[in-house]
Amino acid sequence: MKNIEQDLKKAEELLTGWNREASHPETNRLDIVVTVDDLRPAVTALHDAKWGYLSAITGLDLGVEAGQMEALYHFCNGPAITTLRIRQPRGDVSRLPTIEDIIPPATFFEREMHEMLGFHFTGARSSDRLFISDDWPEGVYPMRADFKVEQAQAVEDRRADEMPEEGVIGGNTFVVPIGPQHPALKEPGHFEFTVDGEVVTAARMRLGYAHRGIEKAAESRNWIQNLYLFERVCGICSHVHTMAYAMGVEKLAQVEVPMRAQAIRQIVAGLERLHSHLLWLGVAAHEAGFDTLFMYSWRDRETVMNLLEQVTGNRVNYSANVLGGVKCDIGLEQARLIKEGLNFLETRIRHYLEVVTTDAMFLNRTRNVGTITYDEAERFGLLGPTARASGLVRDVRIEAPYGAYSQFPISAVTETNGDLEARCVVRLNELLVSCFAIRTLLDNLPDGPLTTRMPRKIPAGETISRVEAPRGELFYYIKSAGGETPARVHVRTPSLCNWVSVLEKAVGRQLADVPMLIAGMDPCFSCNDRLVTVAQPAGRRTWSWKELREYGIEYYK
Amino acid sequence: MNIDHDPLWVKVAKKVRTWARLNSLWAVHFNSGSCNGCDIEILATLTPRYDVERFGIKLEGSPRHADVLIVTGPVTRQARERLIRTYEQMPEPKFVISVGSCSISGGVFEGCYNVGGAVDEVIPVDVFIPGCPPRPEAIVDGIIQLITHLEKGNPPPSQSKQAAEKAPA
Amino acid sequence: MNTLSSLVSLLVFPAGLTLIFTGMFYEWIDRKLVARFQNRVGPRWFQPFADMVKLFAKEQITPGLANPFLFFGLPVIAIAGALTAALYVPLMGLEPVHSFPGDLIVTIYLLSLLTMCIGLAGWNTSSRFSLVGATRALTQMFAYEAPFLLSLLGPALAAGSWQISEINQYAASHWIALSQPIGFVVALIGLMGKLELPPFDSPEAETEIVAGALTDYSGRGLAIFKLGKSIELIVGITLVSAFYLGGLNGLLPFVLKTLAVLLLMAVLQSLLTRLRIDQTVGLWWRFGAILVLVQILIIIFLRGASL
Repeated sequence: MKNIEQDLKKAEELLTGWNREASHPETNRLDIVVTVDDLRPAVTALHDAKWGYLSAITGLDLGVEAGQMEALYHFCNGPAITTLRIRQPRGDVSRLPTIEDIIPPATFFEREMHEMLGFHFTGARSSDRLFISDDWPEGVYPMRADFKVEQAQAVEDRRADEMPEEGVIGGNTFVVPIGPQHPALKEPGHFEFTVDGEVVTAARMRLGYAHRGIEKAAESRNWIQNLYLFERVCGICSHVHTMAYAMGVEKLAQVEVPMRAQAIRQIVAGLERLHSHLLWLGVAAHEAGFDTLFMYSWRDRETVMNLLEQVTGNRVNYSANVLGGVKCDIGLEQARLIKEGLNFLETRIRHYLEVVTTDAMFLNRTRNVGTITYDEAERFGLLGPTARASGLVRDVRIEAPYGAYSQFPISAVTETNGDLEARCVVRLNELLVSCFAIRTLLDNLPDGPLTTRMPRKIPAGETISRVEAPRGELFYYIKSAGGETPARVHVRTPSLCNWVSVLEKAVGRQLADVPMLIAGMDPCFSCNDRLVTVAQPAGRRTWSWKELREYGIEYYK
Repeated sequence: MNIDHDPLWVKVAKKVRTWARLNSLWAVHFNSGSCNGCDIEILATLTPRYDVERFGIKLEGSPRHADVLIVTGPVTRQARERLIRTYEQMPEPKFVISVGSCSISGGVFEGCYNVGGAVDEVIPVDVFIPGCPPRPEAIVDGIIQLITHLEKGNPPPSQSKQAAEKAPA
Repeated sequence: MNTLSSLVSLLVFPAGLTLIFTGMFYEWIDRKLVARFQNRVGPRWFQPFADMVKLFAKEQITPGLANPFLFFGLPVIAIAGALTAALYVPLMGLEPVHSFPGDLIVTIYLLSLLTMCIGLAGWNTSSRFSLVGATRALTQMFAYEAPFLLSLLGPALAAGSWQISEINQYAASHWIALSQPIGFVVALIGLMGKLELPPFDSPEAETEIVAGALTDYSGRGLAIFKLGKSIELIVGITLVSAFYLGGLNGLLPFVLKTLAVLLLMAVLQSLLTRLRIDQTVGLWWRFGAILVLVQILIIIFLRGASL
């Protein structure tokens, strides 16, 4: 706890020049109001001093009467969080300076703020649509307080992501689209890789095919309904989403969750990690063209699915969490079954670990592919196993232990190479740690009730809840106005921060490596569904097919 | 088009054709904004425990090779156009299976601003498989139900539905 | 009379219909074996047949940019090449239907026709995936073709003939796989490259370029290309087992030896990760070609010494 105070004090010192109003909404948080002009220097100060990392930017519309919007820049340093708060008038005049040149991943957050709330970022490089559909009208922002569905009538003229029929750029170069319907992607995303022969020279991406508008929908549903809505942000890591949400709401309501419930949450989260990483291993093997490994890892994953079903009654969206506790208990018989399952899985995971580190053909496709150094990982703001494979410890369970992790700490798993092989190894080693953690929790399951009473109305306030999902840090910002529904829930999923690792690393690689790179970060489109980024070569020009034919004839004359 | 009047070899040929169609359903998967839950369960049907290759069902990449379009998720605004185009790229005869509650009705996402609603509002659907997400067994069962329905000589449900709508009351 | 018997042998037996059904049966065995290695049940025995009938009964869509003449013609040329090649190999353990000195070279080039047609078909449909697929298919052809040819030349040199039937006779008394192990391995792997089986399936790598050159083919065209591939599977296996596994004289040795080769290929298919196209080319020219060349030099030297 002393550490948090010191860290926050240091942040306050760093920001003294621009500090207009400071407060401590919670013991681990520092909230500082800065003006628009001071934003860039303030961010630079925190960034240069390496005070944590930019975890998310939340946009808030305070309503028509208040006439103001807020932008919250959240920096996380271990458990300590510093929030820079900027107020801007509503309407089309809300301008903010971009910070993407200081902190590159901020592009993603800024693009989202622009499309959702209509903040304009001066100096930003790209203004393509990221996750709002192409037929969305200009100047309509879904997260504004006065947004109505009728405003979003489809307009026909915008078709930014349409590939022209002649996607050929010249010479040997042409564009290979991947997605939204593509066998490499089980989820929709759209990538355009410009290739010269087999080598990728530029990458572009467009998300939003799975954008459903969950954050807006959350504002019209009550606290309990939202639990089931957020469970369906993502079908792979559904448990951690509800966990982050429930923990945030419990913090706002100042309810202490019984220890037994916290432990069970952690056990389910551990099982979820097992299923998620085994799924990932299979998908990665499939992308590499190693279907046998895909089949085997998915066969073993069924063991985890059985255990999850055994404990919660469902395979995918388990709804184990309720506000104030958990729904399901783990009895002696279940504990025994889980332990048996873990014994089997541990031997299998050790076997896979051997496969991914010794199979020469598989190593051909993973070793030294997409290498990200420690510095790059830090600069790109990577999270989760993708960062840990580069030696950067970004793990909320270790940096800011929550729930049962404060009593049952886990050890960090890192690798230093940063290539795809390291990412395989990190994920598999993490599973061994998870197995150990689940076993410890089962042996020391505290007694007590499963739930506590939750009030129907949650007291006004705002809180930040961070949980380590299988893919990295999951960030929930929850604001209550004291009613039956939340005033704002902002979700920042780990995949959003990890995209850079694909787009930056694809350029210069073989086309065949691209699906592996995409798989390497374990993307989750439905989780994040946002963004675009471009690495364009100079002198790009679009050739029509006819022109190209003529060029070809001319060339070979 | 009375089948009884066909000569024997035509009847046999038709029988063989139907048999082949039912025993070789190649599917293409389209995610129109699903949460992933259904998608991983569809993928799970390929893996050792469920193994739909037993029934001749194969997941193909190109819509041009496919007989069945498996759609998951509520249709988002951005995916709508692509869904229609993927459907149109498929050669006849083609069937559509809508997997998961939200592809049937919008489910938990009903009313979200970016969600257009059910799949059958966009393209004709033959089989609905409810569940959030449906278990792999349920998905296999849904496909088998389509096969048994067609085996009896019935028209694909989507066509009969269209016919019913078009028929004068 | 002669024309009639030629037609029968081309269209019904041993090539033609018999070959097509055997091809589909072997394809099933291959799929079943791979499925079993992957811990699955695998397809039923009539699966390839059902797939074929279904594809033939399906609508065929011609892409707007494609030349329709080429679009329909290429699959036919491909399958014609494969069927003709079948006449020169000892199918079912019988004497080849046609035989003349030097038919080995003709057969090998008839077998390459399929890949050429697939490449052209990909170029013709001019979708982006099929373009990449076509480029890869042709690149790969240039990689495996020479080593594969050289690996078949080994037995030919040993037998002192370029006629398949004579090499088959010679092989009946010599298990060449034992005396020329490198050639056997290269021939086996070259065959897998020719058939674009994993790990050489990057021309149709599903996760990168959907279905490669054939992405835009549907219905009949796709069916014919697939048939051509299963025929090529049989012809290729027959050739390799006739040359290296003690010759094919009679139905039983034919079935046993070809199935043994198929089993080996299925094991390799399920064990190996797909190679990138640059890795494929590197593998063939850096190892395959050089090793076979060394072996051929040794054979020439030994023959020269014994003369």
